[in-house]
Amino acid sequence: MPITVTIRTITDGTLDPERKPLEPILKTENLWKLYHAGKVEVPALRGVNFEVFPGEAVAVMGPSGCGKSSLLYVIGGLARASRGQVLVDGNDLTAMGDAERTKLRRSKIGFVFQRFNLLPTLTAKGNIAIAQYIHGDGYDPHRFAVVTKMLGLEGRLHHKPSEMSGGEQQRVAIARAIINEPKILLADEPTGNLDTKNSDIVLEMLRRLNKDLGQTIVMITHNPEATTYFDRVVHMRDGIIVDGVPAD
Amino acid sequence: MMGHLVVRNLFHRPMRTLIGVAAIGVEVMLVIIIVGLTSGILRETAKRIEGIGADIMVQAPAAQILIGFSGSPMPIKIADKIAELRYVQAVSPALLQFNSSGGVDVVYGIDRDTFRDVSGGFVFLAGHDMEGPDDLIIDDWAAKAKKLKVGDSFNLFNHDWKVAAIVEHGKGARLFVPIATLQDLVGARDKASIFLVKCTHPDHTEDVMAEIKELLPNHPVRPLKDFMTLMTSTNIPGLQTFINAMIALAVTIGLLVIFLTMYTTVLERTRDIGVLKSLGASKVLIVRALLAETSLLCLFGIAAGVGLSYLVRAGFLFLWPTLSILITPEWVLRAALIALTGALFGASYPAWVASRKDPVDALTYD
Repeated sequence: MPITVTIRTITDGTLDPERKPLEPILKTENLWKLYHAGKVEVPALRGVNFEVFPGEAVAVMGPSGCGKSSLLYVIGGLARASRGQVLVDGNDLTAMGDAERTKLRRSKIGFVFQRFNLLPTLTAKGNIAIAQYIHGDGYDPHRFAVVTKMLGLEGRLHHKPSEMSGGEQQRVAIARAIINEPKILLADEPTGNLDTKNSDIVLEMLRRLNKDLGQTIVMITHNPEATTYFDRVVHMRDGIIVDGVPAD
Repeated sequence: MMGHLVVRNLFHRPMRTLIGVAAIGVEVMLVIIIVGLTSGILRETAKRIEGIGADIMVQAPAAQILIGFSGSPMPIKIADKIAELRYVQAVSPALLQFNSSGGVDVVYGIDRDTFRDVSGGFVFLAGHDMEGPDDLIIDDWAAKAKKLKVGDSFNLFNHDWKVAAIVEHGKGARLFVPIATLQDLVGARDKASIFLVKCTHPDHTEDVMAEIKELLPNHPVRPLKDFMTLMTSTNIPGLQTFINAMIALAVTIGLLVIFLTMYTTVLERTRDIGVLKSLGASKVLIVRALLAETSLLCLFGIAAGVGLSYLVRAGFLFLWPTLSILITPEWVLRAALIALTGALFGASYPAWVASRKDPVDALTYD
């Protein structure tokens, strides 16, 4: 079991300076991400400076197209930064090749997506276990039992995604993301495809992961209510962070 | 766990899997049947020639090992010259004529008495030896296939023959007619395709062969006991090329179907591939998973192909009982390896494409 780290925050959303660890687990410096539309370069991120400390739960908000997902993909090592630096647990992603970023993703990052993205041919159990297989440690029944119990999935493990509700699918996706105890959990609008009831369940799960297990979480959301579950809210607009200024 | 995913994926689209299995099955069956048919016919022909009972066969210069296609270029009087040689007990000329009407047969025109001398004679199951110019002797397999019995009339080379006897198979050909009549029919009076030689003792075969070679330089002189080893596809001009071409065709069919199957699989699973990449799956793991799926598909296809081969053979033998299709474990294994190699080659490009997919593009793919 991981060591529980509780990060206390003060009411204005900033971290308690007395409990703040020295090193951020995630840090970006002047991060740029450019996409190419034909011969035109379209900047999705334009010099983002961003820090997340271990045990923090950070929500990133902003209008569509402001670069939230691009930020998540770059800090998660799924996309390469065009300029700037990304440090994940001390590892510079911008200096890494594809294979090294893949290895880093495998050991330090967990993803949760808006559309759940479960493998349709596998059961819930298979979807979670495959993450353990890819991680390389094989199937760990103890860890598996703890995670699935915590997410209330015990009765649904032999069901395929097509046989589960959206909320259940997202809980399986969360289980898959945390089964290997990643340093950071990145969630891309995890409640975007859920009704209010299931959204609340999923957000509560994420909050418990953060508070009870000390899981560092960065979540992208459009939902202002979702931010109440998080320590800190970061606002983005036009590819930059406009901290403290509501973007919407 | 990956094996579980591979199996689940394979059965996720049963129709696509079935088409892939069918393509591999047809490929394997084509290889097994084509090789089995050629080697079966060659082996069976060789066995029958060996079974004549003669010791030596003399052919015309430039004649092929597949004696049915050799024409009738030698004067029949050569038989008398050979008969004068030391250790020669009997010589029998035979005129061989290929017939493709109502089946594929090589008809032997023989001289009744000398053929009996070199071969020890037929084993008669019904009827009697040749007595008239239109008498036809047929072996039991051909009689069954052509539904003939003693006394029946049978048209061959635009000539009506009377079935004089049904004999046990294994004496060179399945159909025998008097050589003189056949010579007239094909315009080869006083000509022969081969001479069958019986030595006074089998130990004298080498000596007699040497003497014949001296008498008839450039004429192929073959000991019949070695005929089986000589009748291989590599010794028949063009046959090995034909077999190779047919195998290549079968492999191409399998390869293209597997390529298409796996390519559409990769397209359909683009998002899944993105998910695996987000979980930290390496390119090698993704390639391995797709190739494992292909291999499993191929194993089902091979099993289906082997089963299909036996089914096709049974069908062929039902329709053409005189055919011989030799299915050997060696060629079953070879066909399996050919199919597996072709399938893995066909799947390698889609697997490579999958491994190189951008994870973000894959995750946002609709």
